[in-house]
Amino acid sequence: MGLLTRWVRRQFTTRVIVLMPVAIAINIVLGAAVQQGLKLPIYLDSIGTILVGVLAGPLAGALTGFLSNLIWGYLLPSPIGSTTIAPFAITAAVIGLLAGLWGQLGLFRPRRGGRGSIAAAAIAVVLVGALALYTYARAYASPEQFQSNTGIDASQFDQSRIFFLIVMVAYVILVAVALYLRRDVGAVLAIGAGLVTGIVAAIVSAPIAAVVYGGVTGGGTDAIVAAFRAGGDGLYQATLKQGLLSDPMDKMVTSFVVFFIIGSLSRRFVSRFPNGEKTVGDSPEVAPEAPEVSPQGATES
Amino acid sequence: MPVAAAADPGLPDYVARQPRGFYRSVNPGTKLAVAALEVVAAFLLPGWVGPLLVLAIVFATAAAARRLRGLATIALATSPIVGSILLINLFLLPGASDPIARLGPLAPTWSGLWFGLQTVARLISFSLAIGLVYLTTAVDDLLADLARRGLGRRAIFVVGAAVQMVPGTIERAAEIVDAQRSRGMDTEGRIWRRARGVLPMAAPIVFGALTEVEERTMALEARAFSAPGRQTLLRVPADGPADRVLRWAAILALVAIVALRATGRLG
Repeated sequence: MGLLTRWVRRQFTTRVIVLMPVAIAINIVLGAAVQQGLKLPIYLDSIGTILVGVLAGPLAGALTGFLSNLIWGYLLPSPIGSTTIAPFAITAAVIGLLAGLWGQLGLFRPRRGGRGSIAAAAIAVVLVGALALYTYARAYASPEQFQSNTGIDASQFDQSRIFFLIVMVAYVILVAVALYLRRDVGAVLAIGAGLVTGIVAAIVSAPIAAVVYGGVTGGGTDAIVAAFRAGGDGLYQATLKQGLLSDPMDKMVTSFVVFFIIGSLSRRFVSRFPNGEKTVGDSPEVAPEAPEVSPQGATES
Repeated sequence: MPVAAAADPGLPDYVARQPRGFYRSVNPGTKLAVAALEVVAAFLLPGWVGPLLVLAIVFATAAAARRLRGLATIALATSPIVGSILLINLFLLPGASDPIARLGPLAPTWSGLWFGLQTVARLISFSLAIGLVYLTTAVDDLLADLARRGLGRRAIFVVGAAVQMVPGTIERAAEIVDAQRSRGMDTEGRIWRRARGVLPMAAPIVFGALTEVEERTMALEARAFSAPGRQTLLRVPADGPADRVLRWAAILALVAIVALRATGRLG
């Protein structure tokens, strides 16, 4: 059996095949529950996809994402089913593919421990902050410098600067919350992986939204598209900008939730999946007990 | 390739019975091919021709198959996105300079209205073309037909199990949301207070769903799910000569439209 065939087969064990429909149901139900129950302007419809990707591998993740949107679009009755979601199956597949890569790199592995890990996490956050500040100082010193460094028109200077700040602030807040809740340095990497996934997802979904739906999706993010178009942006430009603002936020929160869930699952359960060895955390003798989360989001140790 | 056993006279009627009625009795694979042609036509035929032609065919088929009410429900479900498309394009179409009226700082334009209506027509025809397949085909029949055409048992299981699992998960999610609200989760306050509810809402839903994974895995393995060898299908949807002619005609028309569009002959 060739290496490639073995790599593919390894990702589709019976356990993964059972996990995939569960993950698809989680994608569909949780997305609706968070949007309707908490009325938040994020999608959270790829938790299952990222979970499968991280635990099983890129192909299993991509297939889960792709099938999620097709089933959501074509095989479920209204009002659960929504035919408008189906064209974004390509984006969902890319999200699953990336999650599989992050899983194989071990980015979602909990790295809990004593004071050493917390110190390492603090250093990592400071380094990320310093890198962000350096980038900000270099790229956004003046509109002219922005144009020469990035090649983007100077008229986009203010918008781009606000995007950068919002996304970086969201990243730092999420990492801080994750560190507070779990005292786990791995959050820095997992939420960072979510940030990259979000940027790629925005780039992939912008042409779909522009061509199929004229740039809108019927959700809360349409207001952002409208604001950019009112500012004179074209169809594709406005859709891409909306995606670059919403998707990194959404995928960072999604990665944060998946990281939390994986860290709370039993080591025996996680290690039975193809990427389990790369995803299980440090030995339980070292790791502190996972805190319970109250409905207000506060920890109860 | 799985072996069909539907011709077995010993099968009970509820297994061997084929769907009846106009369009409902058409083979699921054929309906998928027709829907694919309609989607491509709606987007690639120029101007209003594509969407209006598709809408006419879909509505005529739905009326003959007595599925107009279901089609109306699907059309209604698209109303949020339809509203968004119309409003945003009416007021904010880049480069539009033919105002219908002046409403203070706002100026709806004819070009925006035209572009919005055309996008809506495409979107609705695309949604209804796919929706008609759903309304006239049982998911089991679709999966059985795909299995007969060679789709693996693993893919069939994933799709079938996901469709079955969603209603139960929705019920469980509603119970969890109510339970967390009763424990003080804020669903109406400021955004940061609502955002704090993400983990308390998501974690129980996901953990609850994941508890079934081990049991289901063992159940499948106990039934030789991974065993090699050919499968026997109990139920095989009919696929007569008329089905095959319609299916190939749809596929050829689809290829022709894509080729004509790619060579610029469709404008």
